[in-house]
Amino acid sequence: MTNKIERKDLMKVFWRSLALQGCFNYERMQAIGYAYAMIPILRKLYPDDERMSEALKRHVGFFNTSPQTVSFIYGATIALEEQNATTEDFDTDAINSIKAALMGPLAGIGDSFFWGTFRIIGAGVGASLAVTGNILGAILFILIYNVPHYLLRYNGLFIGYNSGVSFLQNAFSTGTIEKLTGAAKVMGSVVVGALIASMVRFSTPLVLTLGETTLEVQTIFDGIMPKLLPLGLTFLIFGLVRKGYKTTTLMLGLLVVGILGVYLGLL
Amino acid sequence: MIYLQALLLALLAGFAQWDSRIGGQNMLDRPIVTGPIVGLILGDLQTGIIMGGTLELVWMGIVNIGGATPPDTVTGGILGTAFAILSGLDTPTAVAVALPIALLAQSLGIFARVINATFNHKADEYAEKGDWRGIEKILWMGAALFFVFSFTPVFLGVAFGSDVVANIVTYIPAKILQGLRVASGLLPALGMAILMRFIFDKHSAAYLFLGFVLAAFLNVSTIGVAIIGAIAAALHYQSLLSK
Repeated sequence: MTNKIERKDLMKVFWRSLALQGCFNYERMQAIGYAYAMIPILRKLYPDDERMSEALKRHVGFFNTSPQTVSFIYGATIALEEQNATTEDFDTDAINSIKAALMGPLAGIGDSFFWGTFRIIGAGVGASLAVTGNILGAILFILIYNVPHYLLRYNGLFIGYNSGVSFLQNAFSTGTIEKLTGAAKVMGSVVVGALIASMVRFSTPLVLTLGETTLEVQTIFDGIMPKLLPLGLTFLIFGLVRKGYKTTTLMLGLLVVGILGVYLGLL
Repeated sequence: MIYLQALLLALLAGFAQWDSRIGGQNMLDRPIVTGPIVGLILGDLQTGIIMGGTLELVWMGIVNIGGATPPDTVTGGILGTAFAILSGLDTPTAVAVALPIALLAQSLGIFARVINATFNHKADEYAEKGDWRGIEKILWMGAALFFVFSFTPVFLGVAFGSDVVANIVTYIPAKILQGLRVASGLLPALGMAILMRFIFDKHSAAYLFLGFVLAAFLNVSTIGVAIIGAIAAALHYQSLLSK
């Protein structure tokens, strides 16, 4: 058979999958990008226009997941397209159902691991070097984020193609995904906790005069606990974020607090 | 010279925007990466690195996930760093300048995503005909739009804005500048608070305080903290497995 999917075809999808958000829009999000990366496969499987048209229509519909984890879904749909090309009466609805079923869970995994963990660790380590003028900061940031990114992107494609949905079903049903996400949260939390102490700068020059004695307010805070004010401020803002205050509002609020604080001699 | 620099920075902005559009989202568009490149282009690598790191902390909480369009840290980061160098702003003032730029540029990002939606119907027509070349063309049209919407504000901002910014800053009262400096130290708290929304729950709370104590009381470096974090994560995972 001539139209068997080979490694080199999968690699074409690997490279093209990078362009997932090239035509990102509010209506169908990553749809065009998804179809774009499937094209090498579809051209190989469906030489005639009619079947090509059917296949393209399947893939230009709404799609949205994490770019870092999408390759798994590509792998799974490529395997199904291949089955469809070689089997009569294949139910093509299965292809769209799989995409719809996988994009949510994989977005959850991708966002919490890549945006919520690897990026934070990379930025935490990187920015603390960069603010001292060390170029290693940027380099470490890129590596800490992208080594896991490309390991997952590459392996996800082949796992998706070879074992398809069963792999992920298994990973979810045995709780492996949940446990890994929990572990990722732990690591992210440790780093965020440290960054609150090392990167938030919040202290007061306020000096109270009580008769003969003067009292530096900051010394009192430091006596209770170092970095007490940065910790308190972060939790205060965290509370406001959870109450639904917009990022922009809070950002402007902090600018105002800074300026007022200086005028009042508090900051 | 300024036009050549503006052109190079605008190209940097376009390609940085492409990182998350056609590049696979490698975080090469974040200020910590673009900052040093801006520094190289403008001949002040050191300031570029420091500005990049500082803006990264301020914007750490801004994430580009789901369907939402966040403040544009690509344009804000590049222009903010460029102004720090070209207009001679100190780091906190440059941060305060970068913040509104990112908010303004956000509207361009929204505009691009709205225009791109009109391409969907064209894609349906091509799909109907089985015209895969048409689909490829549409992807690149969308990508071109993203490029232009980052290229243009950075080019105009650098070519015509740096003197304006330098002038405006000289008119700002010293106390307000000092206030902005203070605020730039407070802003990372917002970044951390947004991150906590993703990771803070009753299971991870203790670990957040562990990290805090390591840095606040024991002055462990961030790399050291990250390694301890990895150990804590491994232990946590094993304890879950044995349940």
